[in-house]
Amino acid sequence: MIVRDNRRYLRRALLTATILAIMLLGTHSASAQFGAGMRGPAIGGVAGWLLAKQAAFYTALAALLRSAKVNGSALWGLMGISFLYGIFHAAGPGHGKAVISSYLFANDETWRRGVTLSFASAVLQSLTAISIVSVAAVLLGATAKLMGDTVRVIEIVSYGLIVLLGARLLWVKGRGFFGALNDLRTDAARSSTDLKTPGHAHCDHSHDDTSCGHDHGHASSFVCDKVHDADGVSRHDGHHHDDHHHHEELDVLPWGHAHGPEPEELAGPGGWQRGLSAVVAVGLRPCSGAIIVLVFALAQGLFWAGIASTFVMGLGTAITVGTIATVAVGAKTLAKRVAHKPTGYGSVLVRAVEFGAAGVVLAFGILLLTGYMASERMGLL
Amino acid sequence: MTTVAQGHPHVWATIQTELIFARDGAVTGVRHSWTFDDMYSAFATTGINAKTKGRFTRQELQPLAQLNVESIKDFAFFTFAKVDGKRQRDAFNAPVDYWLDYDAKSKQLTLHFTLPFKNPVAVKQLLIEVYDPEFFVDFGPAEKNPVRLVGAPPQCTVTAEKPPDQNFNSQSLSQMFTNAEANIGMGVTFSNKILLRCP
Repeated sequence: MIVRDNRRYLRRALLTATILAIMLLGTHSASAQFGAGMRGPAIGGVAGWLLAKQAAFYTALAALLRSAKVNGSALWGLMGISFLYGIFHAAGPGHGKAVISSYLFANDETWRRGVTLSFASAVLQSLTAISIVSVAAVLLGATAKLMGDTVRVIEIVSYGLIVLLGARLLWVKGRGFFGALNDLRTDAARSSTDLKTPGHAHCDHSHDDTSCGHDHGHASSFVCDKVHDADGVSRHDGHHHDDHHHHEELDVLPWGHAHGPEPEELAGPGGWQRGLSAVVAVGLRPCSGAIIVLVFALAQGLFWAGIASTFVMGLGTAITVGTIATVAVGAKTLAKRVAHKPTGYGSVLVRAVEFGAAGVVLAFGILLLTGYMASERMGLL
Repeated sequence: MTTVAQGHPHVWATIQTELIFARDGAVTGVRHSWTFDDMYSAFATTGINAKTKGRFTRQELQPLAQLNVESIKDFAFFTFAKVDGKRQRDAFNAPVDYWLDYDAKSKQLTLHFTLPFKNPVAVKQLLIEVYDPEFFVDFGPAEKNPVRLVGAPPQCTVTAEKPPDQNFNSQSLSQMFTNAEANIGMGVTFSNKILLRCP
């Protein structure tokens, strides 16, 4: 009976994990194929269609800026096209959809925070583009080469931050995963001797006691809360806050906690700082198109229109990235729901997926930093 | 470093190409003139001081020309040669006779440069393709004289084949939207093919 239950949940968890993996890959497979020197056939399907739309909107942007100089009403069209360009362009590289989704996936985030992170990074991206052109071109009279070089420096900093973010996540999530794996082994050994408690209720406690027996300074454990919310029973399943190995962990953990940042922490003051690191990592690099459009607007004597267009582009970008982020958060919630059943396997799988997502963030950072994956080209030819 | 095409074009260039022949009938080099769109031209000329505002002289633009030919080296000058059907790697020496000129009326830059063949090509068939594999630059043939032969033996003929569709500034918005659909993919799909036959 226990075995059959376990199998069924394991199967469901596996199915969910597969769906998640496909979804996660899907977010970037459209734009990024790993490996250097690939020369495939023409991009077809959705990716090709998205690229075609971007190209068309970008060309239209130029055309509208050209005519806005003599015909003010073109500015309305410019804003509309900027918005559409932003929506479609976010599907391209360099807008952090993949990094943001993986980050959200690795952490337990609310959709609200996912959307907020997306908007914040899009706003930051607009601001960097505007700042570069304002300072370099307007104030300093700098050349395009200098602007390109500036973008490259920012790019390296941004990719470095993604690597750091990924490394930190991987460390935290790795601990969570291996901890859960360890617990599962211990629990399996226990439940074979104690068949009366199929859900390995080693953390038996009442509703108001959410500290579940471990005493490393966390008044409220997320996993416990979640279980109570979902099941309405004070039983523990697949959960890793055990007192049997926490004490020694405490001394070696830099974060003093076996698991990654939980939503409660992330929503707190420290949490926003962590979210900020993700925003800065992905939002720092401006998009090449925005810079070229801004300089062109400046040359037309319509710099303010360029600035407005850049912000509207950012709004469009935020909508796309925010939508993808929401899907990532939804998938994660689903995964957790499937996992929270009387078995430890599901939980271990969730931890494994989180661990994997953290690895994806790190991999993105490394590939970007080493140039195996390119963002948009910037600069002169 | 090779990377994968991911973005959409940010630069448009209309190209005119000349194939230069030696007296013995061998092709010694490829002479390019690439005219860029006004948006990129505005970007590229930012911060360059001109004695007369809005008019750049060849001298004033020379540092930019230098920069251009140096940076396109990383992209094999976007010029790929096939001799009798065989792809030539590293076929060209560094560009010579390069300069930029600026058309104050259309506000467009044109980059001129010559790519000398390392070994002059005396063959029956030479194919020159011009494209950006990453599709950052969208190349298209000029309407007038996209290709010319300079000092060619009389039996030589040349044909220019343009990419399936163009996404150029001159098009109307609606044309652009319909054409762009078919226009997207790896840069190589949009290669401009110049085929020389000397039977």
